[in-house]
Amino acid sequence: MELFDSLFLGLQVAVEPQNLLYCLFGVLIGTAIGVLPGIGPIPTVALLLPFTFGLEPATAFIMLAGIFYGAQYGGSTTAILVNVPGETSSVVTCIDGHQMAKKGRAGHALAIAAISSFFAGTVATIVIALLAIPLAALALKFTAVEYFSLLVLGLIAAVVLAHGSVAKALAMIVLGLILGIVGIDVSSGASRMTFGIPNLADGLDFVPVAMGLFGLGEIIANLERPAERRVVAQKVGSLMPSGPDLRQAFPAMVRGTAIGSFLGVLPGGGAALPPFTAYALEKKFAKDPSRFGHGAIEGVAGPEAANNAGAQTSFIPLLTLGIPSNALMALMIGALMMHGIQPGPQIMTEQPALVWGLIASMWTGNLMLLVINLPMIGVWIAMLKIPYRLMFPAIVLFCCIGAYGISNSMFNVWLMLGCAAIGYFFIKVGVEPAPLLLGLVLGPQLEENFRRAMLLADGDVTVFVTSPISAAILAIVALLLIAMFSPKIARKREEALVE
Amino acid sequence: MTTRFDLQDALFGAFLVVVAALVFYATRTLSFGSPADMGPGFMPRVLAGIALAFGLFFAARGFSRGGEPIDPPRLRPFVAVLGAIAAFALLGVKAGLAVAAVATVLVAAAGSDETRPVEVVLFAIALAAASVLLFVKALALPIPAWPW
Repeated sequence: MELFDSLFLGLQVAVEPQNLLYCLFGVLIGTAIGVLPGIGPIPTVALLLPFTFGLEPATAFIMLAGIFYGAQYGGSTTAILVNVPGETSSVVTCIDGHQMAKKGRAGHALAIAAISSFFAGTVATIVIALLAIPLAALALKFTAVEYFSLLVLGLIAAVVLAHGSVAKALAMIVLGLILGIVGIDVSSGASRMTFGIPNLADGLDFVPVAMGLFGLGEIIANLERPAERRVVAQKVGSLMPSGPDLRQAFPAMVRGTAIGSFLGVLPGGGAALPPFTAYALEKKFAKDPSRFGHGAIEGVAGPEAANNAGAQTSFIPLLTLGIPSNALMALMIGALMMHGIQPGPQIMTEQPALVWGLIASMWTGNLMLLVINLPMIGVWIAMLKIPYRLMFPAIVLFCCIGAYGISNSMFNVWLMLGCAAIGYFFIKVGVEPAPLLLGLVLGPQLEENFRRAMLLADGDVTVFVTSPISAAILAIVALLLIAMFSPKIARKREEALVE
Repeated sequence: MTTRFDLQDALFGAFLVVVAALVFYATRTLSFGSPADMGPGFMPRVLAGIALAFGLFFAARGFSRGGEPIDPPRLRPFVAVLGAIAAFALLGVKAGLAVAAVATVLVAAAGSDETRPVEVVLFAIALAAASVLLFVKALALPIPAWPW
């Protein structure tokens, strides 16, 4: 009954008044940035990280996680009311959600979205708890050899499911790994690529890099496009969905949750892929597929359940194995290190209160979100009326303050400036910055484990294929790479992602 | 509409080549070692080698095929956003958060065609006040609030 003991411990941590309060902060901030198009969870988490240093690690993580899954709730509000996705994960919700709003059923669409998300969040919390223990037991068998292979798998797999060219994403990982080298080499004490700047001795801070690449580069690119006019649906109407509505939506909710939970665990899954898959599936299952695109309630329930389940289960690889499945989880790894916790397979045994407290807080957080989103919907609608011309200078300012706050030095602000320029360049040449962030955060660990493995094996590279676990992991990596570069599968993947 | 060269590929390739060259240059004095006993220069050079290979591949591909044109970049948003960050970095410690915040917001806002002068000045002052209260007073961020 280890599971119940652990969950009980987690619940005790999650309901501590301070943790409940910060969980509420997290989901409130998450909903707000979810509602607002133009600012996503990655720069927000990066921005708030420096201000969590004074908190207990568990409290800090409960809040940061709340931002991520809270953003999934908020994103759907904008999708339904304005037909603009608040987050990438709510793109499909626009299709039928906004049609429902046009027919005067905005309230029903919002309620179904929130209920589906809550249902999915509850199930996903249980899935995490069930999978965590066996995975952590497996992880205890890992040495530097296996962990190196696992990190390679994490990096490669994250690329496979990402948008755009695989070759470019691989090149971005290499760039990230190169940036990870900057600083004093741990084993020899030599400073590498610091260009004589003392601030670089401890390595590049990933927070200004993340804010520059994801937040500010995007702002510059947004300002180049003509401003869009947003029309907020006038009337929300009644919130309470009718019995037939719920009966129609429930199977979609269950299917969406299953898909989301599964895809979320896969490296590279996270929140973007599940809703698309769920929508396609609902269309296949429907007796009358022509209703889709004209306000089918399943078209809201399925994808909304999927994106929330996926957002939560993407924590599983992080909490059990210490590898991130997407760029946001890479930030979380960095945050763990900043709090002095070494991420990796041992994290569950060494930090049970943190891990289980976080898992349990996801359920309390989801409960809060249900309350925040339904009765308080008016507040979020009011927020949607904030024009971009005021929002973006505020984001720039907060990013500057956040970058300064990491180590109370202007060096990081200058670093962020450079990264903003590079981020803009990346948008212009059409490459995704997410793999770079993964490389930057995982780079130092990758090198350290590789060196340690080489020392253990006396420089014999074959150790990676003679250890069975490592060999199996590397075989998966090889399969993924072969699959990606075979033209037939590559085309299929493109179709799936475009849809 | 297509162009003669795939400029996106070519530019990204060139970027990678420059980064690789920079790494080779910056780590030229570090020892390479052997796989059993890696020196500090081992990883940087291996990675720079891979980046160079990727860079040459993209550059070659970019110049050998046509592609989508890149939307012409606009100078104003770029200069305004970077200028706003620079303003914060230069003013933050010397003039205090209140002044730096107003300057940052105003410079950034200059990058948008939609900005309305009166509105943005009031907004900047309000944001500066909120920042001082939140970050300096409540969160105790070690940054001066005022120039004196």
